[in-house]
Amino acid sequence: MKRSNVFQFRAGRSVFHRLDPLSKLAWLVGVSLLAFGAYIAWIQITISLVVLATALFLARLSPLEVVRGTWLFMIACTSFFVIQSLTLPGTTIAFHVLSKPIYAESTDYALASALRIYTIILSSMVFVRTTDPRDLAIALVTQMHLPYRIAYAFFIALRIVPTIEEEIQIIRAAQAVRGVARKRSIAGRIGETKRYAMPLLVGSLRRASMMVMSMEGRAFGAYPQRTFVDAPHMGPMGIAVSVMTLASVVAWYTALALGYVHAIYVFAPA
Amino acid sequence: MDAEAVPANGRALTRTLHVGPPRFTQGNVVDRANSDLEALQGSRDAEVLIDLSGVTYTYDGEATPVLRDISLTVRRGDFVLILGPSGCGKSTLLHLLNGSVPHILNGTLEGTAVICGKVVADTKVAEFATDVGMVFQDPDAQIINTRVRDEVCFGLENLCRPADEILIRQKEALDYVGLPGFADRSIFELSGGQKQRVSVAAVLAAQPRLLVLDEPTANLDPAGMTEVFAVLARLNRDYGTTIVMVEHRVDELADKVSRVVMMDQGAIVFDGSPRGAFSARRVVHSEEADVVPTASWFPQVSELAMDLAAASRQELLPDQVPLCIEEAVDLCSAWTIPAEALAMAIDAPPAERSKKPLLSIKSLSFGYHRDSPILKKVNLELESGAIVALLGQNGSGKTTLARMLVGINAAPAGAIDLGGKDLSKLGAREIAADIGYVFQNPDHQFVTDQVDEEIAYGLKVRNYSADEIARRVDDVLGIVDLKRYRHRSPFSLSLGERRRLSVATMLVLEPHLLVLDEPTIGQDHERAQQLMGLMARLRERYGTTILMITHDVRLVAQWADRALVLRSGEIAFDGAPIELFADADLLRSAGLLAPPIHEVSRQFAARNPDRGIRPVLSSRELVNALVATRGKASK
Repeated sequence: MKRSNVFQFRAGRSVFHRLDPLSKLAWLVGVSLLAFGAYIAWIQITISLVVLATALFLARLSPLEVVRGTWLFMIACTSFFVIQSLTLPGTTIAFHVLSKPIYAESTDYALASALRIYTIILSSMVFVRTTDPRDLAIALVTQMHLPYRIAYAFFIALRIVPTIEEEIQIIRAAQAVRGVARKRSIAGRIGETKRYAMPLLVGSLRRASMMVMSMEGRAFGAYPQRTFVDAPHMGPMGIAVSVMTLASVVAWYTALALGYVHAIYVFAPA
Repeated sequence: MDAEAVPANGRALTRTLHVGPPRFTQGNVVDRANSDLEALQGSRDAEVLIDLSGVTYTYDGEATPVLRDISLTVRRGDFVLILGPSGCGKSTLLHLLNGSVPHILNGTLEGTAVICGKVVADTKVAEFATDVGMVFQDPDAQIINTRVRDEVCFGLENLCRPADEILIRQKEALDYVGLPGFADRSIFELSGGQKQRVSVAAVLAAQPRLLVLDEPTANLDPAGMTEVFAVLARLNRDYGTTIVMVEHRVDELADKVSRVVMMDQGAIVFDGSPRGAFSARRVVHSEEADVVPTASWFPQVSELAMDLAAASRQELLPDQVPLCIEEAVDLCSAWTIPAEALAMAIDAPPAERSKKPLLSIKSLSFGYHRDSPILKKVNLELESGAIVALLGQNGSGKTTLARMLVGINAAPAGAIDLGGKDLSKLGAREIAADIGYVFQNPDHQFVTDQVDEEIAYGLKVRNYSADEIARRVDDVLGIVDLKRYRHRSPFSLSLGERRRLSVATMLVLEPHLLVLDEPTIGQDHERAQQLMGLMARLRERYGTTILMITHDVRLVAQWADRALVLRSGEIAFDGAPIELFADADLLRSAGLLAPPIHEVSRQFAARNPDRGIRPVLSSRELVNALVATRGKASK
């Protein structure tokens, strides 16, 4: 039995699982655009909470899965927040840490920046966990009219990532048994990668060759078109999600352009 | 090449069926010969699906051909088993049958190859999709999609069939392979056997006339293997599907195939009936050009017949060769053992040595998720100098347990004691000094660019002196017979050599415990025997304990002193292999099979209680028991 990868599609029956891939892709792009445009903390907090609620209730991820999938980014974002809060300039002192003044502007910007990264990671996790790569590839062919050979190349690439990840873990374990210690330095990591490369390359080439034979042996590429059974299509829910996402993005950037958005400092001075 | 051993297609079968009168006149044996003949005559009138004439094939960049002057005719309804040592060209021959050779695996094709009426050289692989279905060894490498339905529909979608027809054929194909109701299941939820049946369904959906399989059960446990073989036998019997397959696990397959083709160094050296194939020992050549007896991949029941004939100093006719347990029991009952019959030599058991406690596991539980533990309160003691087999179905926790022993999975504090030290407190290098682990895929363990450096690596990181390293490396290179390749890249060696090298990298550290993860996967029986011979030498020389994870019950019967069975993460059995194989309920619940010879001796003993024969684990032991009790009454 293997440890399951949190950044991997898992079948389910949640609202997001039932949504077509292109609507989810539109949602992901929309959330990313909103996050990139939001440099004010309270806006970013709102977006993060909406994405978190989506993950928990619409995609049916458990809180533990969310933590397991994003804990590394949580640590990175927290560090990022602390460093920026301590180093960025400002004018309004919010509070002091060891007699060093911490400015409301800098903490606000730092929080917005940290949450921006986390929001994008979490929304990507929701997308990956609820979207079968094959459905996405088919949607690109049937809805976006991408050639099916290209769409399948994209699908196979996504499909093979967890397998390669698993193989790297096996190689790492196999080499650790030989006495190869994991290096922390950059030079050490490069050397480590070199050692993994050969067995990984040999295994990947073997697997790729097998996949090609398996696909061609079942007439893949024999005709310019192919049938798609169960091709996903955008239903009313998908249209609603896409329209709402588009409306939010347009409204947000319009409001920004017209100067309607004002900062309300989360860490306001006492 | 032995002319007697190289009959033209079909002629060998005719000849073997007419050679002399049957040695004993039990009705079932005569019927057996007649039914083989009828099957052959029926087959003669059937349509030719494979017609190879003088085929020679050389891969691009290679100097020597991998197939040499192959001529082969296969007709509709045939079930052909291809046997041969690793590197003999079996897989290349299979890939020729759907055009992967020469169109994907490029090279030069000479001679004529016509498959299902299409000339291979002029036909693309995709154009064979409705004629030939290919199933490979590793289901994970050949399954493209993530859902069962998508995988089964994939070929028909590529053929632009209407969606309604695709869904009907998809359902039929899943029903064929015994997976109704699995259409919406994720591929990741399936067992190995189920995945392989999905692979079979995925090619059957296109209704090919020819099914080609390359070691489809190599990665499966006995339960998975039985599922796949049952599906193939049903397809051939009930639907007349023509099957050509390469497979090492012949014990369960010998009575299902209609024809056996044996290959050696790219050429066909035998083509005939299974009984003809398994009636006489021949020799072929391994990838490293060593001589290998073909008997090393014979069914164990056929080996028994040959041993019985040898002990009785009688000739064994092909018609008498048993292919399944029932036929072997019949043969033992009917065989007349003359007074001058001699007992066969049996290897002496290893000398008793003082056994020291090596490792103890107390109440070990482990799981990646709290609600689904993989190991549940495992208690276990290992002593020095033992060969211990760890058995169980795929997913029962065998590999997880073994990996905890080398620290790949962190052991809970106090759960594993290694020579008085808590394993959880030891670093990777300290553990590796005492416990070695040979992975399934040897390539994963290689860290240098040269064979001798590979062996020296473990010593260098432990700061051994240059003289000591040189001495040990030289010594170990000799033990694993790789001295002549010491300056070669590990990746340029054959699979058998790479496997020996991966063992050598562990061996050089003189570990107290060596764990072998599935040593026989993807290897023929002879190669597995060589590896186990190496293990036995290691035990003799260093007193090393060998813990092997395996599904190969013949290997367990022959080599293991002790068997452990894991069932759903719990130790369900810990004792001698002979006791394990006597417990039918346990075997069933753990998805295991007893070795054929154990079943033959058990059934024979039940049928002939007066002979006083007890179940045994080797063919020679059974022959000796039959010789020793020949005068006693029997039913």
